[in-house]
Amino acid sequence: MELIRLVWRNLTARTTRSIFTWLGIAVATASMVLFLSFGEGLRQALAVEMGNMGPQIRVVAQGTDAFSPPLPELPPEMLEKIKYLAPELGISKVIPAVVMFRGGFDPSSSFLFYGLPEGADPRDFYPKAQVSAGRIDPHPDGAVVGSKKAELNHLQLGKLLRLSHDVKLKVVGVLKPASSMIDSFIFLPLKTLQKVLGTNNYGVFLINLKPGVKADEVAQKLEEAIPGIDAQSSSEALKYAEKAMRIGDLIRFGISLVALVVGGLLVANTVMMSVYERTREFGIMRAVGARRRFIFSLVLAEALFLALAGGAAGVLAGVIGSSVINVYTQHAVGLALSAVTPRLALFAMGIALGLGLLAGVLPARNASRIAVTEALGRI
Amino acid sequence: MLKAENLSKHYLQGGTEVVALEDFSYSFPAGATAIVGPSGSGKTTLLNLLAGFDVPSRGRVELAGERLDELNEDERAAVRLRHAGFVFQSWNLLPTLTALENVAFPLLLAGVARVQREERAQELLSRVGVAERAEHRPNQLSGGEQQRVAIARALALEPAVLFADEPTGNLDSASGRKVLDLLLAHAGDERRLVLVTHDLDVASHAQRILHLRDGRLIDIEKSG
Ligand SMILES: Nc1ncnc2c1ncn2[C@@H]1O[C@H](COP(=O)(O)OP(=O)(O)OP(=O)(O)O)[C@@H](O)[C@H]1O
Ligand SMILES: [Mg+2]
Repeated sequence: MELIRLVWRNLTARTTRSIFTWLGIAVATASMVLFLSFGEGLRQALAVEMGNMGPQIRVVAQGTDAFSPPLPELPPEMLEKIKYLAPELGISKVIPAVVMFRGGFDPSSSFLFYGLPEGADPRDFYPKAQVSAGRIDPHPDGAVVGSKKAELNHLQLGKLLRLSHDVKLKVVGVLKPASSMIDSFIFLPLKTLQKVLGTNNYGVFLINLKPGVKADEVAQKLEEAIPGIDAQSSSEALKYAEKAMRIGDLIRFGISLVALVVGGLLVANTVMMSVYERTREFGIMRAVGARRRFIFSLVLAEALFLALAGGAAGVLAGVIGSSVINVYTQHAVGLALSAVTPRLALFAMGIALGLGLLAGVLPARNASRIAVTEALGRI
Repeated sequence: MLKAENLSKHYLQGGTEVVALEDFSYSFPAGATAIVGPSGSGKTTLLNLLAGFDVPSRGRVELAGERLDELNEDERAAVRLRHAGFVFQSWNLLPTLTALENVAFPLLLAGVARVQREERAQELLSRVGVAERAEHRPNQLSGGEQQRVAIARALALEPAVLFADEPTGNLDSASGRKVLDLLLAHAGDERRLVLVTHDLDVASHAQRILHLRDGRLIDIEKSG
């Protein structure tokens, strides 16, 4: 307690320097929190998404990577085969679909089309899906647009969508916001999309199971029975996504590490300068009767205090920054992509403290080691 | 109580040995003892050894029954805290603390609770005549006031020995006189004051004057 008072006195005696150091750590921590908050946000969004998703198994052609739209590489024979196996495996419904992606990075210029067969509609993707206008089934000749997509590209009922030079569709339904990926989808009749792509193949089979049937087991049996496919249960997909996200986390952490190192050097510099300037002070303390440990603790506490205060401010700034980002991503893709979870906040504080410790130990050691006579001699 | 036997301190400087103090033996009686000598004669070196700031190259020092030459840094610090007080020529005080906190500092190290600490510190400041300066920082105090605060701090744990190295060196004669009186007041039947000075006039107030030259004790003069 008394130590904290002494630390506080010293930091406030050199206000400008203390504030700059504090700011430096805050900025470093905030940038790390922000970087990592994307991973956390995605993870949360994904978990929610998977929980809400209709199909329990997705079948795509082998080699399709998980994060790009599947190409139409599944021939009709495969559909027959799955249908043939369905009763045996406990499959209740197979929805053959085609996916088409158009556009770029900007959410308003990219389009994700899903072609669904007759008898299927957006509810097979997202059971709670509802329309805010029009009808939910795109058949026989319409497009049902997700809420976000409708808003971004002004796709009201009756608007004409041009898919190719001879294929045009009218918007016949707009979905209610669902805080899900389907907010950005456009659903079309399967035949229409196949025509646009010039194929009779399918891109993906969405499979629902009878109650009590284990998705992982069915997925495995399907892969064994039908060569050339990848069958993924949603829990497996979640695991896969989690793995990919870990890599993303590592990369983001690597980037923020630069900021952290700079922050750490700042603390080290401040504490080192402060130690050098106060050599005489430490000499006096030792002369009066302070032990080496006392000096060591004093200097280390100063570094830790700076790191802790900076870290806390940084986490706070990160939370604010994250919610600002979310306002944007909510608007753009309908998802809160950034999240500062308690574990992220704790992690950031831990890193900040670790930095303080690292930056403080050496100066503290030096300060406590210097000979009393030498310390007293330096004014 | 305070005793030195065959105390020597040699420094190695650029390959040559500097003899700062050679074969100093003296048992300090109660009361005030002044140490005088020309610059470089070893006065500060002697004080550093007597107070346990430094260890001798040879010989023994005893302070309050403890053999300082046999103790390590932290053990010597503990002896200093309990049994010794210091006043240097200048820059005695911790600049970020108030006068009161400076005086309370040794009490803090000794583990005295806050309230008692501040009470005692205030009382000490009154004793040296700067009570109304309690909340001032050192840089808001005059040189004489700073020295008096330093004396108050040195007295905080009622040490057996008070060491002062040129305590009046930076002061005009009026405030120097006050500081000297405060220091001398501490020297008594049980207590010792070791006063290093250039100023023979200042030294003449002590009961004994030790004369150093080239690191050697060359004369012990009784006065007062
Ligand atoms: N750390 C050191 N390294 C090398 N030589 C030293 C050291 N400290 C003191 N000396 C030398 O020891 C001798 C005695 O020094 P000391 O400081 O004790 O003298 P002093 O009597 O206190 O002088 P002054 O009156 O100027 O304060 C001097 O020759 C000095 O140069
Ligand atoms: Mg000297």
